[in-house]
Amino acid sequence: MVKAIEFKAGSLTAMTAVLREVDNVRLADALQVMLGGMGEFFGGEPTIIDLSQVKHIPDRVDWPGMQSLLRRYGLQPVALRGAPAHIHDAARKAGLAVLADQVSSINAKALSIETAPETAPDTAEPAQASLPLEPPTTNTMVVERTIRSGQQIYARGADLVLIGGVSHGAEVIADGSIHCYGPLRGRALAGASGNAGTRILTTSFGPELISIAGVYRTFEQGIPQAIAGKAAHALLRSTGGKQTLTLEPLQLD
Amino acid sequence: MTQVIVVTSGKGGVGKTTTSASFATGLALRGFKTIVIDFDVGLRNLDLIMGCERRVVYDLINVIQGEANLHQAMIKDKHCENLFVLPASQTRDKDALTEEGVEKILKDLEHMGFDYVVCDSPAGIERGAVMALTFADEALVVTNPEVSSIRDSDRILGILQSKSRRAKEGRESVKEHLIITRYSAKRVEEGEMLSYKDVQELLRIPLLGVIPESESVLQASNAGSPVIHSKGSEAAEAYADVVGRFLGEEHPMRFVSYEKPGLLKRIFGGA
Repeated sequence: MVKAIEFKAGSLTAMTAVLREVDNVRLADALQVMLGGMGEFFGGEPTIIDLSQVKHIPDRVDWPGMQSLLRRYGLQPVALRGAPAHIHDAARKAGLAVLADQVSSINAKALSIETAPETAPDTAEPAQASLPLEPPTTNTMVVERTIRSGQQIYARGADLVLIGGVSHGAEVIADGSIHCYGPLRGRALAGASGNAGTRILTTSFGPELISIAGVYRTFEQGIPQAIAGKAAHALLRSTGGKQTLTLEPLQLD
Repeated sequence: MTQVIVVTSGKGGVGKTTTSASFATGLALRGFKTIVIDFDVGLRNLDLIMGCERRVVYDLINVIQGEANLHQAMIKDKHCENLFVLPASQTRDKDALTEEGVEKILKDLEHMGFDYVVCDSPAGIERGAVMALTFADEALVVTNPEVSSIRDSDRILGILQSKSRRAKEGRESVKEHLIITRYSAKRVEEGEMLSYKDVQELLRIPLLGVIPESESVLQASNAGSPVIHSKGSEAAEAYADVVGRFLGEEHPMRFVSYEKPGLLKRIFGGA
């Protein structure tokens, strides 16, 4: 029987909104000045509200008001951090998860006394369920030098563009795709957080290992003749519901 | 401006000290005031290669710890007027090598009007090796045409990129030069050794020179005289070319191609 619901652990990249005020009128003014009334500026990103820098927190905070204000700019509040215990219940009722906070030492101490429930509140908004779990990979990290043996580069939540090549014994990792202009001789891992649509592209193919979204391949028997030292790319193709790592030559001229 | 040059490799036994000695001597022979410093604390060798081991009184660590001043520790070379040697300590712990201490010595050498400071790095990637390259402006990376040596050189190039002062302060990066030593054109021809082009292709830094495998290197070491003094030997000429290229001259690569000896040569023996 197919289960109607399944639970999986996952991590997500979220925006943190560090507030210095909890008064919605003043927050609205500040956002207006910063973003010029550009609605949907953030494009629906999950957001953690951080109250650790608010000097005075009143007994009552207008959560529905704050949530709708943030949503107006495309920020989707999902959780609260750095808040004193007396407002936790109200925040949970408003559909926000209360996170333990290691960043702010004072609040972390206060929270450690109380064992905050780990489960999400049952009043969770449906919007939370549809949040993307993969971090957005629209950013790019560019490295101009050669990545040498023993060095490791990780492009978190980004594509990785390598201009100097990758030596044997080096490791390059990206949540997005890896583009290598020069010899790719070390280990290359794309889609490190699970994005199966990513690729590894290089002008000179010769890696020790490649991996896309956890599907990896080594080259114990040597690199296939057709692509060794030539322009090639690696990608995942699904055949019969199975993902296979495919290597293909690239025509550059 | 004093130029600091590190001679490094990662792997041991590839010819760092031989290269440091001949390169520093070559610069001095061209008239530059040069000092070569041994950073291999605990395993000092440079003084032997330079033939000044009997004149070592104070060393690098004595100077760093203030037990002697720099003038007392510097040994004047017996052949060259403007060449000096600063030996390493044989007895001390390498932890005595501090960044502040090395920096102060380099400042003092600049005040003394040195043109070049050649730092002979120990093998490995630990403290001594990192100290030797920390203040480098240029690096001579010494590599044998052999895969493990190439891998280690690659590693040390990465460390140059991340640990040198120039890298940390975001200045123009350390200028890298490749020197391939113990090269045998004959064995390359026979497919037993990687060619210098293969090595350069793998490391992707400019090639400064190729030093052929030569008996004169061992003889020179035993005699305590840098091989660049061994007139007529291929290694001496190759090192002289390296110094020339470093100073911006153009010299064709020599001793990199092998010609099969002709019939007469085989019968009557080579010259």
